[in-house]
Amino acid sequence: MNILEIKDLSFSYDDKSDAVDQASFTIAKGSYTTIIGQNGSGKSTIAKLVIGLLEKKAGTIIVDGLELSSETIDKIRQKVGIVFQNPDNQFIGATVSDDIAFGLENHCVDPKEMDDIIHHFADEVNMLDYLQHEPTKLSGGQKQRVAIAGVLAMAPNILIFDEATSMLDPRGKKEINDLIDEIHEENDMTIISITHDIEEVVHSDHVIVLSEGKVIMEGKPEVVLAKEKELKALSLDVPFAYKLNKALGLKGIKLKEKIHMERLVDELCQLALKK
Amino acid sequence: MPISFKEVSYTYSPKTPFAYEALKGVNVNFTEGKITAIIGSTGSGKTTLVQHLNALLLPSAGEIEVLDRKIKANIPVKDLKSLRKMVGLVFQFPEYQLFEETILKDVCFGPLNFGIEPQEAIKISKEMLRLVGLDESYDERSPLELSGGQKRKVAIAGILAINPQILVLDEPVAGLDPQSSKAMMKLFVELNRRYNKTILIVTHNMEHVLAYSDDVVVVDQGSVIRHVTKDEFFMDDDILNELKIAPPAIINVKAMLKAKGIELKGHHLDLESLTDAIVKEIW
Repeated sequence: MNILEIKDLSFSYDDKSDAVDQASFTIAKGSYTTIIGQNGSGKSTIAKLVIGLLEKKAGTIIVDGLELSSETIDKIRQKVGIVFQNPDNQFIGATVSDDIAFGLENHCVDPKEMDDIIHHFADEVNMLDYLQHEPTKLSGGQKQRVAIAGVLAMAPNILIFDEATSMLDPRGKKEINDLIDEIHEENDMTIISITHDIEEVVHSDHVIVLSEGKVIMEGKPEVVLAKEKELKALSLDVPFAYKLNKALGLKGIKLKEKIHMERLVDELCQLALKK
Repeated sequence: MPISFKEVSYTYSPKTPFAYEALKGVNVNFTEGKITAIIGSTGSGKTTLVQHLNALLLPSAGEIEVLDRKIKANIPVKDLKSLRKMVGLVFQFPEYQLFEETILKDVCFGPLNFGIEPQEAIKISKEMLRLVGLDESYDERSPLELSGGQKRKVAIAGILAINPQILVLDEPVAGLDPQSSKAMMKLFVELNRRYNKTILIVTHNMEHVLAYSDDVVVVDQGSVIRHVTKDEFFMDDDILNELKIAPPAIINVKAMLKAKGIELKGHHLDLESLTDAIVKEIW
C-alpha cells in the first residue's frame, strides 16, 4: 500500500524556472526511502511541499489517502513529521521537556496526559536523563534526538529527515542513523530521508534520484547505485564497495557484490579460503 | 612565519553562572603553507580555536601569533582590518551571512570593503564565482533564491575574493552534494599548492582528511591532544579507537577483513595500494 503518492508535482520560486518539475513517485507504507540529488535539485522543496510549507503550482500530493489542500493541511501535518538539517534552528523550548511539549500544546493535548507522553518519547530517543537540560548544554546529536522526539510525539505516519545528520560529527551522525533504523524497524514507520550520504542509501529499501526538479531514476539501491555513468553525470557518487569492486576487477578479481561492503568482504573471504 | 597558539585559554560568559571554558591552555603551531585538518567531536573547541585566528574572539589568557601579528589576552588588537584581510574565515553556516540583493554584489562586498576599485572588485568576484562553480546566470540573482549548497558556494567565493594568505574553513562542505564537495576540496588544495595559501579546515569528514590534508590536529575538551601528519594519524589504530572516530572506508575495509581472519600487511591509504594488498593476500 502507498502512503504517499506524488503526481505531476510542480513548484517555482520565481515563476521563471521550476524547482520541482512534474515530479511523480510513490512511497510504500513502512518503507525506508532515500532521496538523493545535487544541490538545488529540488529535494528539500518537495519535502516542504508535502508538509504544506510551500504551495504547489500544479499536481497532486496524497498522504495516507488524503489529498493535500487548504482543507486537509492540518490533518496532513499530523501525519507527516519532519526533522531539518540544523539542530539549532529547530530547538524552540527553553528545556528538552518544553521542546517536546511544544507540538503537543499546539495540538491541545490534555496537560494531564502530556507528562506521560513527553517521558515516553524522551525515553524512546534516549534523552530521559536530560529533560530539564537547556539546548546550550546538548551536543548536535542530542538536539536532533530531541527534535525527533518532538516529531514522534505527534504520532505521525511518515517521518521525513531533511539532511538531518549533515551538520553532525561522526558520533552524532551514527547516533541519529541508528535511531532512525530503530524507529523504522520497531514502529514500522515510513521513513523518507533526503541525504548526500551514499552509504545510507545503500541500506535503504528504495532510492529516488532527482535532477533539476525531475525524478531521473528510482528503484532498489542495488540497481540505481550500480549506474555509475548516470550518477556521475548528475554529480552523485557511487558507494565505496562499487569502487573497490571495480579496482579489484581490473586486477583480475571478479566479485558479484557491488553495493554492500559486508557482502563484498564475505566474498573476498570465500576466495581466500579457496586459495 | 608562525601561526601559533601559546597557552591560549578562552572562557565564554566569564564571571557569570554560565561561564564555560572552551579552550584550556592550548599550545599548537600550524605549519605555514600546509593544509591542516582540525578534528574533534562537537563542543570540543574547534570553532572557538579557529575564531581566534582573525581576532573574532580574543583569548582570555595566552598569546596567538599570526604571521607577523601578535594577539594577546586583554590587549585590543590594532589594525584589525589588515589582520582580517590576511586571515579569511569561512563560518560554519556562511549562508546565513548573505545579505546583498544580488549574488555578485554579495561577493563584491569584501574586496570593496578592503579598498579595491569597483571595476576590479567586480572582475575578481566574477572570477571567484566561476571558480566555485556558479556560472554567469547566477550573478544577478538574489542569494535568497539559492539552495543551501549554492548559498555556501557564494559565501566561499566572497572570502576567496579578499585573497587572504591564510584560509580558515569551518566545515566548508557540510551540506554540499558529493561532487560539489569534491570540487570545493580540490579548489582548496589548488589554492594551497599553486598559491601557497595556508589552509586550516575544521571537518568531521574523515574521507576528506585522508584525501586532502597534510597534517591533522585533534581537539578534545578544549585542548589540542595530537598534532601529527595525516599518514601518522591514519596509521595509528589507537588514536582512531580512542577518539571513537569512524575511519575512512579504505581503512575500514582492512578492519573488516581482519575481523574475518584476513590480515593485510602494511598500511594502505589509497585504493591502489589497498587492492594490491588484497590481491597479494587472497590470490
